[in-house]
Amino acid sequence: MHANVQQAETPGDVQPILRVRDLQAHYRTTHLGLRRGVRAVDGVSFNVRRGEIFGLAGESSSGKTTLIKSIAGVIRPPLEIVGGTVDFAFLPGFGGLHRAPPAELARIRWRHLSYIVQGSMSVLNPVRRVESAFLDFAYPHIGGHRKQFEQQVIAHLARMRLEPSVLTAFPHELSGGMRQRATLALATICRPDFIIADEPTTALDVLVQKEVLGMMRGIQRETGSSILLVTHDMGVHAHVTDRLGIMYAGRLVEEAATAEIFRNPLHPYTRHLISSLPRIGDDAPRAGLVGSPPNLADPPPGCRFHPRCPLATEICRGEVPAIREADNGHRVACFAVERGSRA
Amino acid sequence: MNHLLLDVCEVSKTFVRGGLLSRQTIAAVNQVSFQLVAGRPEILSVIGGSGGGKTTLARMILNIEAPTSGKLLLDGIDLAAITGSAARLAFMHKVQPIFQNPFESFNPLKRLDRYLFVTRRRFSGAAGQGTIEAAVDAALHKVGLSLEEVRHRYPHELSGGQLQRVAIARALLAEPKLLVADEPVSMIDASLRMSIVNLFRTLRDDLGISIIYITHDLATAYYVSDRIMIMQEGRIVECGDARTVLNAPRHSYTRQLRDAVLVPEVADAACGASPGIYDPTSPAAPERRT
Repeated sequence: MHANVQQAETPGDVQPILRVRDLQAHYRTTHLGLRRGVRAVDGVSFNVRRGEIFGLAGESSSGKTTLIKSIAGVIRPPLEIVGGTVDFAFLPGFGGLHRAPPAELARIRWRHLSYIVQGSMSVLNPVRRVESAFLDFAYPHIGGHRKQFEQQVIAHLARMRLEPSVLTAFPHELSGGMRQRATLALATICRPDFIIADEPTTALDVLVQKEVLGMMRGIQRETGSSILLVTHDMGVHAHVTDRLGIMYAGRLVEEAATAEIFRNPLHPYTRHLISSLPRIGDDAPRAGLVGSPPNLADPPPGCRFHPRCPLATEICRGEVPAIREADNGHRVACFAVERGSRA
Repeated sequence: MNHLLLDVCEVSKTFVRGGLLSRQTIAAVNQVSFQLVAGRPEILSVIGGSGGGKTTLARMILNIEAPTSGKLLLDGIDLAAITGSAARLAFMHKVQPIFQNPFESFNPLKRLDRYLFVTRRRFSGAAGQGTIEAAVDAALHKVGLSLEEVRHRYPHELSGGQLQRVAIARALLAEPKLLVADEPVSMIDASLRMSIVNLFRTLRDDLGISIIYITHDLATAYYVSDRIMIMQEGRIVECGDARTVLNAPRHSYTRQLRDAVLVPEVADAACGASPGIYDPTSPAAPERRT
């Protein structure tokens, strides 16, 4: 595992805002005296730099959501952090939000760290007006006069092209896109250093999606926040993220600048993922991947992708490939790539 | 004139919202007409944003919802005239649905093979267990599975892609002429999505089944369909050959939809090119209290 740590320290990572080291988060249950563990995140290491949008891609049950729950410190049984550390630059010395005392959490939440959850429209209480969410979450951090705070909120909403009347509306009176923009405004009004966004646009219409993504990018550029963006949609990653990590079955299998991943994908899974995307104006046939994603309660030994991998050899079935730097800042966990680069 | 498999004739569906005083009618589907010709299987994509009336149209074709005005004819039979279980069964013999989320279309407490056996028994009348199993196995083979993989399994034991295949196999057991698939791949993992889409092509080519493919994903629609219909607020705004519609869209809404597709490629200026409607000229964000 030491190899992992060293490999991650590329020169650009001098002062990352987030350092995840060998994070292991498992779901542990005991059923009829039988202990079962689902290794949803198994030894993941990466850095997020200041002011960048880091994307995480992967299919369902690849551990994306578990990973960001662990990073955000939202640990509820049966989820357990079994090993590894999560270090934020603004919260040094604890090794993870889950180990920080509640007073520290209250200090950093919303102000340093905000979390846009999947289907985040449900952040807004359906029986209270939108303004109450701003008062509950953001006012304690911003403070000052109530009137002045309201002016700030209205100005911030205007930047999202939302009318002040949104504040007095109930969530159900707004369209999905407006609700999503309101939650985005809520997540950014304290100008947090770090924003975690889990599938922020998946539930939206294609037209609205483009709008919301553009606004996220705009806000991020202006405030200089870092964003960890999780989605399975490669199109979103191509348009919004600066760097991209690919997850497969609880492990990070590839990480590089987004442009580099799309231009030169190295891991067989990433290569398949990108080549199988249909494009308008391209009639070439696309193949689905054979097999199905592994069951994480009983993952295959060795590289977890080997049962579906066209390049699998004996070593892939027995040993776990460590994630190594293949090229400048391009990390990949694959024996076949290592062989290829050596040959 | 060719015999029509499906004739949708100026169909509208309006929903009424509100009480006596504040009555509001919403035209979910507005004067929609299109035809599918029998004996010429094709994949017709219905595309539109949310609230465009795609699902309401599908529900009317499946005879779950009755149109407010207009007529739907399947094989020359008016859907409104279908009453009684025998006529209903005969209808379901020809049209079968595939829904969006395979985890929701199956009861998690019921074994998958039960669904398949019961479906086959209903559509083939009384038959021995042996012939039913053979038919189920054959249907599963068409979708790339086998009865051995599905027997005694519960829905949670299969992946979303496999489960959606079982749903398609179940639909095939009725030997339908038309499948209505409402967002069949949007809940499916990226690595398995194309295998389902490719399966639709195989069904069209090998089994001669027409498919109405409802989606908001223009890229897969371009990939798989013969004809495309673009719906906006209940109306068809553009309809025609898939390649023509998406390569050279005529209607502004089609162009808007096509431009909103996030192409999975990194152009050098991709990030700067789409500032969206975020307005940088607005006053700066409120300063944080320090």
